[in-house]
Amino acid sequence: MIDLDRVTRQFEGKRNVTALREVSLTIAKGDLVSIVGPSGSGKSTLLNLMGGLDRPTTGSVAIDGESLANLGDDGLTRVRRDKIGFIFQFFNLLPTLSCLENVGLPLHLRGWARRKVHERAIELLQLVQLGHRVHHLPEELSGGERQRVAIARALSIYPPILLADEPTGNLDTRTGGDILALIDDLHRRLGATVVIVTHDLQVAERCQRTITLRDGGIEQDVRR
Amino acid sequence: MNLLRLISWPYVRKHVLRTVLTTAGIVLGVAVFVGMHTANQSVLFAFNSTVDRIAGKTELQVSAGETGFDEAVLETVQGAATVRVAVPVIEAVVDSQREGQGNLLVLGTDMTGDRSLRDYDLEDADEAIIDDPLVFLAQADSIMLTKAFADRNGLSVNSVMTLGTALGPRAFTVRGIMKSKGLASAFGGNLAIMDIYAAQRMFGRGRTFDRIDLATRPGVTIEEAGAELRTLLGPGFQVDVPAGRGQQFQAMTASYGIMVSISSLFALFIGMFIIYNAFAIAVTQRRSEIGILRALGATGSQVRRLFLLESAATGLVGSLGGLALGLLMARGIAASIGTIMQDVYGVAQRADEIATSPALLGLALAVGVGTSVVAALIPAGQAARVDPVQALQKGRYQVLSAGENRARLMAAAALGIVSVLCVAVPTSRPVFYAGYLLAIVVALLLGPILALVLSRAIRPLLKWLRPVEGALAADSLIQAPRRTSASVAALMLSLALVTAFAGMARASYNSILDWVNGTLNPDLFVSPSQDVVTRTLRFPAAMGDELAALPGIERVQRVRNARILFRGTPVMIVATDIASLAETAPREPVEGHPTEMYRLTAAGQGLMISDNLARLAGLHAGDAIEIPAPAGIISLPIAGIIVDYSDQQGSIIMDQAVYQRYWRDDTVNVFRIYLRDDATADAVSRSILSTYAGERQVFVLTNGELRDYILRVTDQWFGLTSIQIAVAVFVAILGIVNTLTVSITDRRRELGVLKAVGGLRGQIRRTIWLEAISIGTLGLVLGFALGALNLYYILQIIERDIAGMRLDYVFPFGTALALVPVILIAAFVAALWPAESAVRGSLVEALEYE
Repeated sequence: MIDLDRVTRQFEGKRNVTALREVSLTIAKGDLVSIVGPSGSGKSTLLNLMGGLDRPTTGSVAIDGESLANLGDDGLTRVRRDKIGFIFQFFNLLPTLSCLENVGLPLHLRGWARRKVHERAIELLQLVQLGHRVHHLPEELSGGERQRVAIARALSIYPPILLADEPTGNLDTRTGGDILALIDDLHRRLGATVVIVTHDLQVAERCQRTITLRDGGIEQDVRR
Repeated sequence: MNLLRLISWPYVRKHVLRTVLTTAGIVLGVAVFVGMHTANQSVLFAFNSTVDRIAGKTELQVSAGETGFDEAVLETVQGAATVRVAVPVIEAVVDSQREGQGNLLVLGTDMTGDRSLRDYDLEDADEAIIDDPLVFLAQADSIMLTKAFADRNGLSVNSVMTLGTALGPRAFTVRGIMKSKGLASAFGGNLAIMDIYAAQRMFGRGRTFDRIDLATRPGVTIEEAGAELRTLLGPGFQVDVPAGRGQQFQAMTASYGIMVSISSLFALFIGMFIIYNAFAIAVTQRRSEIGILRALGATGSQVRRLFLLESAATGLVGSLGGLALGLLMARGIAASIGTIMQDVYGVAQRADEIATSPALLGLALAVGVGTSVVAALIPAGQAARVDPVQALQKGRYQVLSAGENRARLMAAAALGIVSVLCVAVPTSRPVFYAGYLLAIVVALLLGPILALVLSRAIRPLLKWLRPVEGALAADSLIQAPRRTSASVAALMLSLALVTAFAGMARASYNSILDWVNGTLNPDLFVSPSQDVVTRTLRFPAAMGDELAALPGIERVQRVRNARILFRGTPVMIVATDIASLAETAPREPVEGHPTEMYRLTAAGQGLMISDNLARLAGLHAGDAIEIPAPAGIISLPIAGIIVDYSDQQGSIIMDQAVYQRYWRDDTVNVFRIYLRDDATADAVSRSILSTYAGERQVFVLTNGELRDYILRVTDQWFGLTSIQIAVAVFVAILGIVNTLTVSITDRRRELGVLKAVGGLRGQIRRTIWLEAISIGTLGLVLGFALGALNLYYILQIIERDIAGMRLDYVFPFGTALALVPVILIAAFVAALWPAESAVRGSLVEALEYE
């Protein structure tokens, strides 16, 4: 489902920094994978490359067999729009939009009819147990509720790939546990490929596979 | 200063574009201020220097307005004990009959005496003739030209050139060419000298002179000579220094001066809002930097000083740029004022040199820096009050607090009441103008609140248009009212000015059209010059009878009009056959009895005056007025007040018999011709032209042609509106680019999220475009609302202080409709670059946290 072939990502500046070095990796369809490692090991960079948010300096990334290298900006956006759902540590909900509008955002961007968007957004908010909060603004929600909305948004198109960057990093342990349970449940029910970047080893251990990064390279790749 | 170097300079370097845009606000304000005032000064300077050049060594001038006077007056003046030399002068504007050369001012002078007053400084001449004035005088076709005019037309001494005179085209022989300095440089060289007695004949003046130029005897002061002449000549004559004509000219341009001041004030206000916007945004964006400074021990006043110093530096740079741009603009504006003013002399009053004073430039610099500092006062105060702890936290800090809104509303309500009282209670001029200023301040106070309310109101519409892009664009406006409202306020002010001026133009146009339709209803107008405002060529009275005898003509009305000084102001005398006028073009009086006023005026027992003169001079029907004339003082009651736009400063309408008695002048400027039912304008026009072919210079204008001419002149007066529209568009672009540049920085993460979840580049662009168009829409709505109020004040100013014209309040819907696409397109254009920069940003960086 996700193929990385000798991917290197260097950041240019006064001092060049290599965030990832010749990483090759394949993640199969339906896998639940965690990526762990210390700060600066390249976890988020790897996730950004998998999600088409960033481009490698060298090497190639392919999603569902389609190489991202030759795609323009809009091409990459279409891949994200049609195949990938993102969950961010800080939720990245748009503060001025209601829960319903935030969840419907990707669907509107795909040009869905308003009624259809509405129905799907309600369905997803109910799925994440926020059916009673549809017209609330993000600032009116707790951290856990915000992350649920973010998950509902990530799932709005029922993407084959779900990428989560520290989804519990900004939540207390109990809420974090609930969110993970939800991701786990959705993974099983929807059969999506899920990649979670985390610092939390307990989170990592709940995944079928854990990839450990250190200094921009894969240190360990454990399957359970 | 150290803080300025350490903190401000790096910020400026990082935000070069924004700094440039901010500075452009002050550049714009100062440029409009300098440009308009310099243009005005330049035209006045050019006029005054023209008067000086023509006057030569003349110390005093005797005149009777434009009407001229009997040549016997010369003997009285020459006989005065205080007068050393007195020379009669006739001024006539003639068609140079050369393409692109326009009109020529011909000075008819008495060559025997004039050379002691004016130095002709000949470059080339038929010396024998010039040296002997009697020979020049004996040859009635002699003319002297300036070198500039001669060179432009390939003329030299003894060349023959044709000029359009009252007697038709006549050939003149060039006897001398004057060097291009002093007298010869007046009117850019479009000046010629000929013998006065030849001029009387050529320009249909009979035995009259326009004025007498004189020099006093040694040891006699100008005041002494003036006093003696006034006693000798009576009140019908003006005895004044040549510069007095400049003052009259200044009085005539006063209306333009007031409009210039209002435009300048608005331009500075607009500049102030652009600066305020920039500094309010800077304070918001540099909040954490301010927090660090405060945490490190900087005091609140140090932070305030830092921002005020930044604003002063911005103001200084912007003002210097504004001075340069203003002086450039002045040249173009001066040319347009000069063209408008040509009806004073008939020859375009060119301002070849830009006259500016160090005082004006110094004032502009001070105003620019001062405006900038005043604009930054509130943001600087906010910066000084930043709490170091809160400043280092993330959060929303652009929201207008409910308390702030309440304070604004209360201030607006209080000032609004005072403003209404200033207008409602009839009081002095300063109170009225204070009310006007307060009304603008109220609008500015309400601007942010109204912008917020409107932003909320248009959100459903935008969301309906584009569910994501539209909603986000509206939300961006709602979330950052400070960012939005200053741009909207600048645009609002700009559009309010355009709307009010356009409304004034439309109202004036309607009133003038109404007057033209009611008064100028003859079928044909017969004039001695193509340019109907030129009154220096005239017909003899007898021509009226000749015209009446032509087939197809039912009625002929003689009209003599000329400016005279009435209570120190130039007003127009319109003398005609009032009884006939009452039958053909009766007007409803503003004051007076509709038939009685015509009867009394026709019988020489009364006068009619224009509505605007009545208003400016505080006159009413029944008031007795005194009009000084060469043959005595006319003392008659005002029989009626009517709407008449013969002159901007007002007009006095009297029967021709009264005029002839008091001015001893029966010449005619225009014949108004009514045709028989079976005659055609074309046939009669041809008949008139053939009757006078080779004998007289005659121009026949149809009713439609005269109407077009008047409306074209009216349009020229309101040409200023187009400059203001250009400024409005510039303000819209400047403000919107500024706002969007910041909006994109503020919304970087939001736009990043949009892209991350599938927003295509087109969709990102659309949200920026929609935001810009929304700002444009808010500016339009508020600008039209303030414009509607501004129009009321402008009309009041015109009625009270400028032309005395009572104009109907008509909102300029046509201009408003035309402005909608102009501003929306400008907003869209302004958004193009910011939208591209939003699309190009790095997605990963946008989603990163600080």
